[in-house]
Amino acid sequence: MTSVALQRRKATALRVWTQFRLSRQGMVGLGILAVFVLMAVAAPLLADVRELNPVYARSQGNPLWGPPGEFPPLGTDYLRRSVWAQFVWGSRVSLFVGLAATVLTILIGSVIGIVSGFVGGRLDAGLMRITEWFLVIPFLPLAIVLAAVLGRSVWNIIFVIGVTSWPSTARLLRAQVLTVKQRLFVDRARSLGAGGWHIVSRHILPNVSGLILANATLAVPISILTETTLSFLGLGDPGAASWGKTLEEAFSNGAMIINAWWYFVPAGLGILAVVLAFTLIGRTLEEIANPRLSGER
Amino acid sequence: MSQSLLTVRDLRVTYHTAGGPVPALRGVSLELEKGGSLGLAGESGCGKSTLALAILRLLPVETDVEGEIILDGHDVLNLNPGGLRAVRWTSGAIVFQGALHALNPVQTVGDQIAEPMLVHETVGSDKEARVRTESLLGRVGLTGNRADSYPHQLSGGQRQRVLIAMALACDPLLLIADEPTTALDLMVQAQVLALLSELKRERDLALMFITHDLSVLTYACDQLAVMYAGRIVEEGPGWEIFEDASHPYTRGLAAAFPTIGDMSSRLAPSGLGGDPPTPGNLPPGCPFHPRCPLGRDECRLEEPELRVSGAGRRAACILV
Amino acid sequence: MSGRGRFLTRKVAGSVLTLAFVLVFNFFLFRVVPTDPVASMFRGRGVPQEALDNLRTAFGLDQPILTQFVYFVRETVQGNLGISYQTRQPVWEEIVSRIPATAALVGISAILSALIGTFGGIVAAWRRNTWKDHSITSGTMLFYSMPDFWLGMILLVVFAVVLGWFPVGGIVTAGTNATGLPLLLDQLRHMFLPALTLTLAYLGEYALITRSSLLEVMGEDYLTVARAKGLLDRVVRRRHAVPNALLPVVTLIAINFGFVLSGAIAVESVFSWPGLGKATAEAIRGPDLPMLQGLFLVFSAAVIFFNLVADIAYGYLDPRVEDR
Repeated sequence: MTSVALQRRKATALRVWTQFRLSRQGMVGLGILAVFVLMAVAAPLLADVRELNPVYARSQGNPLWGPPGEFPPLGTDYLRRSVWAQFVWGSRVSLFVGLAATVLTILIGSVIGIVSGFVGGRLDAGLMRITEWFLVIPFLPLAIVLAAVLGRSVWNIIFVIGVTSWPSTARLLRAQVLTVKQRLFVDRARSLGAGGWHIVSRHILPNVSGLILANATLAVPISILTETTLSFLGLGDPGAASWGKTLEEAFSNGAMIINAWWYFVPAGLGILAVVLAFTLIGRTLEEIANPRLSGER
Repeated sequence: MSQSLLTVRDLRVTYHTAGGPVPALRGVSLELEKGGSLGLAGESGCGKSTLALAILRLLPVETDVEGEIILDGHDVLNLNPGGLRAVRWTSGAIVFQGALHALNPVQTVGDQIAEPMLVHETVGSDKEARVRTESLLGRVGLTGNRADSYPHQLSGGQRQRVLIAMALACDPLLLIADEPTTALDLMVQAQVLALLSELKRERDLALMFITHDLSVLTYACDQLAVMYAGRIVEEGPGWEIFEDASHPYTRGLAAAFPTIGDMSSRLAPSGLGGDPPTPGNLPPGCPFHPRCPLGRDECRLEEPELRVSGAGRRAACILV
Repeated sequence: MSGRGRFLTRKVAGSVLTLAFVLVFNFFLFRVVPTDPVASMFRGRGVPQEALDNLRTAFGLDQPILTQFVYFVRETVQGNLGISYQTRQPVWEEIVSRIPATAALVGISAILSALIGTFGGIVAAWRRNTWKDHSITSGTMLFYSMPDFWLGMILLVVFAVVLGWFPVGGIVTAGTNATGLPLLLDQLRHMFLPALTLTLAYLGEYALITRSSLLEVMGEDYLTVARAKGLLDRVVRRRHAVPNALLPVVTLIAINFGFVLSGAIAVESVFSWPGLGKATAEAIRGPDLPMLQGLFLVFSAAVIFFNLVADIAYGYLDPRVEDR
């Protein structure tokens, strides 16, 4: 990248950040996200990972279904394990899977959307037919069926989410590429003899990168919620203690009947908070890119 | 002696926006006789559309409106809601710019023309309304069966004609045309202008023609009023003002429309440098003086009132 | 063929094609499975190899793939979706017996979420930037951000376990002999919490779309024109603003239906509601592949059908759609 282009990128990033800082909803979202990212990163400092092992928990003499009063800060579960430890370490899996799945979604969706929009013609028509099909098919049943066939692992879950969520990103980006293509400067670049790759990287990508970012931020909540649901239904990795898995264990072991609220409320709140955070950030980014949306007329 | 159909006295309109109060009109007075024609010219932001909306009290509820508007004997600003609704469209009607947004996209054109007839009960039945609608469409140069079309099926020129037909639905005494020709091709513009003139003659309609294109006004209107920054800065007989303007702004406007055919000059009078001031941020004294080629130091001190500049003419400039 | 006939044919043909792709997908999906279907069906039962081989032939698993596909399509179209691994009953019968429960739950929830959400969106737009607007917008965003089944768990604990106002699960009280009206009331009592869960979880999108659509319409000139014609404000709203604003909502009904139906999978599990959702959750535990295949087909067909209906309805309501 030339230094001029680099300067421009920096200036744009700075401009976006200044505007972002003024948005209350954006900063709240960012704040919440920061808290949970810190929690995930600092997990070893916040909770002993051995607490996740039922044998260790038993050896420590932990109570069974102990409420938070008895075993601060969040009590114990049906295997005497610390709920707080599950919450802290669970954040890692939920965040990781959510982000990784989103990266995959955006990657597939962007490539297909950009190629489809740029190349046009029969390739475009064909790809769009496939995209339409994916968009009509109910997404969760499809994910369930794929996950059931592929088996229970973290990477399979990431793959399944990525492979079922890319269509809306693809459609959005294709529309944007079509708009950009219509602008004169692409034609001019072509007439100057510029090749396809050059046009895509120099002209199209900079113009769609903002859209990709906003779309990605709004796609993370879907990935996280899907992982949670898949784990709840028993399709998650048995070794990975995500928040969804906590909810599944709570449900399967009757936490609701005995009102062991400390077991299932925190995990759900964690998901709620993180999803809300990404939604707020994503909406703020969208508003910055498209001032009309914020209600100013 | 002809009676005055529309009298506006010292009209002041202030919008309440997120950024504070914005004075869109700062004391406008005018008079229009029955069957007369008045052109209102100015760049965007001068308040001409606000004036059009104010006459039928169509401004947003939070807007401050002061002054007096007498239309067909009615004191518009003090009418109760029922009285106001009765006056709308029957005493005066507005022809908006014919973009797709002035017509309801999911209703047929015929239904929209017939609607005011039914609301004001100027016809006895739906059938009668339909007959009248088709005859109005015919009068504006469209075929009667166009009544079953939807707005998106019509061209820009056709939509403009529909808006005119719609405005005539209740036989108003006053027709306010707000930028009726702006987005149209030249050929169509000429047709629409001719149509308006014919209608005016036939029905003894009073016409208030609002636009930024001065040349169009001189064709269609007896009297002319030029607006700047929420006030009238020059008024008088149309041709006279165009040929020999008293106010430097009018001179600039007139000079900016050299030949018919240069599309870009229509959108931004190029005879004048700079931009019109934003209504919330007016320069001290005469609001035009920063762009005025004849500006002097005294112009900054006090905003000039309209003063006589000829027979039946007035202009707001200290040089008069 | 008239314009309208062309439009209808095009839409229906498109839906049939989509459904056909679902069939193809279903077929190839389970051929990708490394496990042998016959072996997994008789897992741990000590069936001799010879018997397994015979079964394989019976299922046509030794035929070339294209022949298998033809068998598959033929059988599916005739309603033979295979035998459930778990219950040994025909998949079709298992599914059909559970449709009414899910239809009732999802139907009511979808309708309620549409009505309440749209109404909320209208109020939020009409009272833009007031506390009503902010509370509606924030509230719906909150519900939208939580896992639907978690909301169900919370409601279950609060209203059924702690307060005891509603039953803890199932569709009828265990051991009941009620019929007629008392039975219906009992079922409604059991349906209340799961329906509440699905409604709350999915009304957010309606509120959001309705609000922004109405805000956009409110700024349009034709509303000013309508007022200028002397119409009452409420007539302007009813006749001009609302019809235009609600057009995008029609499309949303189709999209949201798919989400509510999918949401029923986990929510039915939480409340032990004996419908297709719970059946899916149970089938996952096997994995009961024929059951999952059949359920996927049925879910897809339902959503495709609903999308078709909404598409056609929209084409009738909005005169700007081509080829009417």
